[in-house]
Amino acid sequence: MAHVLTKPAPTAPPAPPRRSRRRRDILVGWSFILPNFVGFALFTLVPMLAAFALAFLEWDSYSAPEWVGLDNFAKLIDDENFHVALRNTLFYAAGHIPLTLVAALGLAMALNRKLRGVPFFRTAAFFPYITSLVAVAVVWNMLFNPTAGPVNQVLEAIGVSDPPRWVASTDWAMPAVIITSVWRDMGYYMVLYLAGLQTIPKEYYEAARVDGANAWQRFWSITVPCLRPTTFFVVVMLTIQSFKVLDLIVVMTDGGPGRSTLVLAQLVYREGITEGQFGYSSAIALVLFVIVLTVTVVQFRINERRSAS
Amino acid sequence: MRRHLAKAMAAAAALSLAVTACGSSEPEAGASGDGGGSTLTVTVWNLAKTPEFKALFDAFEQANPGVKVQPVDILADDYAEKVTTMLAGGDKTDVITMKNVTDYSRYSSRGQLAEITDLAKSGDTANLAGLDAFNVAEKYYALPYRQDFWLLYYNKKYFEQAGVKAPEALTWDEYGKIAQQLTKSEGGKKVYGTYHHTWRSVVQAIAAAQTGGDQLSGDYSFFNDQYAVALGLQKAGAAIDFGTAMAQKSDYRTMFETGATAMMPMGTWYISGILEAKKAGKTDVDWALAPMPQRPGGSGVTTFGSPTAFAVNKRSENADLAKKFVQFAAGKAGAEAISKVGVVPALQSPEITEAYFKNEGMPTDEVSKKAFAPDKVNLEMPVSENTSDIDTILKEEHELIMVGDKAPADGIRSMNERVKSEVLN
Repeated sequence: MAHVLTKPAPTAPPAPPRRSRRRRDILVGWSFILPNFVGFALFTLVPMLAAFALAFLEWDSYSAPEWVGLDNFAKLIDDENFHVALRNTLFYAAGHIPLTLVAALGLAMALNRKLRGVPFFRTAAFFPYITSLVAVAVVWNMLFNPTAGPVNQVLEAIGVSDPPRWVASTDWAMPAVIITSVWRDMGYYMVLYLAGLQTIPKEYYEAARVDGANAWQRFWSITVPCLRPTTFFVVVMLTIQSFKVLDLIVVMTDGGPGRSTLVLAQLVYREGITEGQFGYSSAIALVLFVIVLTVTVVQFRINERRSAS
Repeated sequence: MRRHLAKAMAAAAALSLAVTACGSSEPEAGASGDGGGSTLTVTVWNLAKTPEFKALFDAFEQANPGVKVQPVDILADDYAEKVTTMLAGGDKTDVITMKNVTDYSRYSSRGQLAEITDLAKSGDTANLAGLDAFNVAEKYYALPYRQDFWLLYYNKKYFEQAGVKAPEALTWDEYGKIAQQLTKSEGGKKVYGTYHHTWRSVVQAIAAAQTGGDQLSGDYSFFNDQYAVALGLQKAGAAIDFGTAMAQKSDYRTMFETGATAMMPMGTWYISGILEAKKAGKTDVDWALAPMPQRPGGSGVTTFGSPTAFAVNKRSENADLAKKFVQFAAGKAGAEAISKVGVVPALQSPEITEAYFKNEGMPTDEVSKKAFAPDKVNLEMPVSENTSDIDTILKEEHELIMVGDKAPADGIRSMNERVKSEVLN
């Protein structure tokens, strides 16, 4: 097809008609994304659409499905497990999102300098994120052990007479999970913030110094506004991640003690896989999807308005 | 545009339903004769650590030349969920091992198992312990091949050191006293008097078995005394605190084999585990068996247990051979094969028990033998369509009582309320 030019041709070869070139480009483009797209379609897109349909059916995965309309959603409204799981998920998100954000930004600020040893600490902060999640959960469970765990031994040593019982208490199990997940995720978001910090021009800070701005003022007036695009991305990612939390909780507490750490994703799993009610489970999944979608859309709107002003 | 989208959505939904084989007519078991040839597939858990499976498969292959058994090995912790997913996805594995009766009730009520009532009604199942557990409206979908029940494991060394005699017939009060007496610190290491694992059965199933209470009833006042025992031991420091055990993901085997506890109520499946650990030189624990402690004024020894069974997958293409295997495992040849590796067979006879205690490493004292013949073994959890829902609620409330978040009376009240409103309404 392509012909090699050994020397400049006296006249340019006639261009192929525009239409067929466009078609060819489209075909080439599609053929590049096809391998990935087939996998995505087969294992993500189709099951997702199927789950939407299933939410209106009653189906045990074995016998013929039965159309029940909105019954599954009616059942949700009265289902105490759903209320508990929704509350817990919101509690987790309310803790995990701001804490991870602050921790990641703090780390990034601290490690955004050219000193010896900084690369080591950057790697160290990123390490939890690539560690096996099960290992993370098991080790933190040991740290949080109410009687023999180092966390409580330290607390007692500094004079806390009755330290929290962490994963063995309904009040403290979720905070324990949140602490663990913040520790695990902050390294990843730190890397995003580091990239963001690198893009802020040094001249801004120099100009601010000349004007006599102190560190705090420089942070609020330069760093924070310049990092807005990064922060927006981080918040969106964290929100989606928080609402979907499942693995860490399953390994650490399995929703316990009682129902104190039961979250929506776990309820989806329990109702579907263990109880075999795929219709009801899909309905819960659909509600979860709508919640995440709404929150994300609102975040985009707010961001647009901010950028415009 | 919108019309196209709707069409695409409908097509996608139809496609996905087709992919998941939903709504298709299911093949009748055995309809296709020997489509699978003479290879039999069986789901098992932790094959390397569960010697009974290999013992059974070898015996079956020997009795049926030309037949090959192919295990489908699954991690024990994920077993129930994995099998549920397999069956839901139309998997054709011939024989499905029923790890417990709760799972059995789930699969049988969903119509995922082939009916084998003819095998259950045949002559030689009269002595098959635990067969009743598989009766669903006078139909059977599995036959038990082993029957585990709970008894008391104890560390002989600690008993001798403290001058306490073998716990032949304890009441729960006496058990509690001995546990406190045996609790000590040895060279900076604490030895607990007893260890209660975090399963709800340790408190709830034994209470149900010994009081005659029904765990599906929605009224759980019969748990009361047993919670008093369990919480009392924990408060006195004679048993490891539940929250700690939960956070550590305590392993009962480690607790007993490292001598961290003097006593431990546990199921008979652990016997083969100890035998193996001792043979491999992993532990030198000097152990023996005793009957489960009883309520005051009770007559005889009542405990609870659960049978393990084999069932034929309704989608099996090798149903005749699968049925043959199920029958073999529940019969005399199967019982002998698993007795040899220290597993308690469902088929009971004096000869089999005799042979069982001849295994190398078994305790030989009379109390251990007596412990092996309880007067009554009640089912750990009755089977019905509500079993798994109620199980979840009882587990959640059990955790709350044991971590001290709720007083037993409050926990039991909320069990009653939740089971009534969420399940039995």
